[in-house]
Amino acid sequence: MLKNSYFISGLVALLLSLLLIFVAIPFGITSPSNISKIVLSPVFWPQVLSVLLGITGIALMVSANGVKVDGVDDNDDNEDLKESTAGGFKRLFLMGILMSAYVIAIPKLGLVWTSMIAFVALSVLIKSSRPRTAIITAIVIPLILYLFFAHVAGMSIPQGEFLRLP
Amino acid sequence: MTLLENLAAGFALVANLESVLALAGGVLIGVIAGAIPGLSATMAVALTLPFTFAMTPIPAILLLLGVYKGGIFGGSIPAILIKTPGTPASSATILDGYPMVKNGHAGKALGMALWASCTADLISNLALILLAGWLAAFALNFGPPEFFTLILFSLTIIAGVSGDSLLKGIVSAILGLLLATIGLDLVYGTNRFTLNDPNLMGGLNFIAVLIGLFAIPEILSMVWNPKPVAGKTQSLGKEWVTLAEYKRCFKTIVRGSFIGVFLGSIPGIGAAPSAFLSYSEARRKSPNKDNFGKGEIEGVAASEAGNNGVAGATLIPLLALGIPGDVITAVIIGAFMVHNLQPGPMMFINNPDIIYGLFMGLMISSIFLFLIGSVAIRAFRHIANVPQVILFPSIMVLCVYGVYAVNNSIFDIGVMFVMGVLGYVMLRKSIPAAPFLIAFILGPLLEDNFRQAMLMSSGSPEVLVRGPITWFFWTLTIITLVAIIRSGMKKRQAHITDSSNPV
Repeated sequence: MLKNSYFISGLVALLLSLLLIFVAIPFGITSPSNISKIVLSPVFWPQVLSVLLGITGIALMVSANGVKVDGVDDNDDNEDLKESTAGGFKRLFLMGILMSAYVIAIPKLGLVWTSMIAFVALSVLIKSSRPRTAIITAIVIPLILYLFFAHVAGMSIPQGEFLRLP
Repeated sequence: MTLLENLAAGFALVANLESVLALAGGVLIGVIAGAIPGLSATMAVALTLPFTFAMTPIPAILLLLGVYKGGIFGGSIPAILIKTPGTPASSATILDGYPMVKNGHAGKALGMALWASCTADLISNLALILLAGWLAAFALNFGPPEFFTLILFSLTIIAGVSGDSLLKGIVSAILGLLLATIGLDLVYGTNRFTLNDPNLMGGLNFIAVLIGLFAIPEILSMVWNPKPVAGKTQSLGKEWVTLAEYKRCFKTIVRGSFIGVFLGSIPGIGAAPSAFLSYSEARRKSPNKDNFGKGEIEGVAASEAGNNGVAGATLIPLLALGIPGDVITAVIIGAFMVHNLQPGPMMFINNPDIIYGLFMGLMISSIFLFLIGSVAIRAFRHIANVPQVILFPSIMVLCVYGVYAVNNSIFDIGVMFVMGVLGYVMLRKSIPAAPFLIAFILGPLLEDNFRQAMLMSSGSPEVLVRGPITWFFWTLTIITLVAIIRSGMKKRQAHITDSSNPV
């Protein structure tokens, strides 16, 4: 709902602001004790921004009350979209796992091999109707990029612990 | 150095094979990327950026500028042929472009789009050359308080016009500013939100944040709803645009170009509003106004002139003031930073050869745009056939390699994915990402200028209103805020009236 979009965004902004003011800034920022002017302190700028974030969050929540609820979400106004995204959350969850695994696997498998596996996994996730093309591209693209970055740009690409490329 | 000497030095930097190839390659990549539905000009520029690290500054920046210009034009090809804008800036082109295709005049529509784009691009580049130096000379008078108020004004306008809601834009900008505070403190060198992790001490990598915000959400959208592009490519037909038609539309093209230049030079407005304003002005003044929306060639000329007129003009605040006017120029500022260049008034003093080299490169890019655009129109059928299921995994792999290449850091890849998730949530909640990114880039500059101003005045805030320039920017900020709030209230009133009086 349009109203909820404003209210939830405002609520999240307010909670984040409180978290920053009472937890993150006091414990996450080191400030020298001999600062004469508060405006020059390392905590001043984040504090100002956090307060502004909180005020804007409250304003968003208040403005949500003024908006007549039309029952249509900002981005979900398409009926087809709603039908076709029935498994959307499941796919997004799997994508989250894929992204985490991608980052974790690079030191072990190397960037090239991890990218090939991630390519195929994403193709499956977005329901590829051309598995053969997807597999060929999954091999070719990471190899071309490896050749460019390692041999043209002279960068060090992680090779992993198992199979090293020239 | 005199103007002629600067031009000669600039010419020496551009007149070599590497620069020319970079420019031509950039335009080609941009046109192809813009023509592929699902890829935007922003994404194309962001994904090209890592490939420029190994290049020298001028070819690197020219490559990105070529991608930018090619991308803006390329977006008009699918807008006309399959009613799917390749970039948001091409949305207005659909209004008359697609009806022309339906009437069997696809070749004419695309031809006029190309001619109008190249003309507007040229006018925009000339405006950049004429205005940037003058503005930079004026900006040499700026001290920290003036820069603070200028950046604040820029962020206000970007937050206000980037999305549907000013408040959401402000939340986005504040989040970007907060993210920019991660790292060592600018003055005392103490830790701020670093969790004692060395990866965070230098702050978050700009390119990881950028690619995460603008490329990964597109992949996540595809994962959420895996759906191929529905449009069907139409035949080009045998008719091509004639010189007489170009002459008839010339006044509209020039008007649209100036609209583009004006709106493009204001940070945050962007190409899409310019295209729509140019289109509506053309319809208002045209003798064929009844034909608009039904396949009027002047409509295509107006919208394409409007969106391409922005391309050179957005570089005016970037080069003269160091303020990126939109997301694409924010990426381009990244290229400057990677090559240890800081755009802004001092660059006109310290590196005039690079500035004038870029100006010359931009002029040449208009010619490349015409040549490559002509070929791309005919090759579109093949470009548009890139399957989405291949495109998006390729983008993901490109993003990972590109982000890794910046610092050889796997941590940055993690940052990119986290930013991607944040960008996707913002997309779903209609919170614009542009203010976030631009605030993230300008955040250190804003804070640095604020603290310098405070040091100058021993902590007295009066320094922030010390002279006519600061007053000018405060006034502009207030006027902008009032205008945006009034416009928002009017929209809300209209929405409530519509809801309470259903037809």
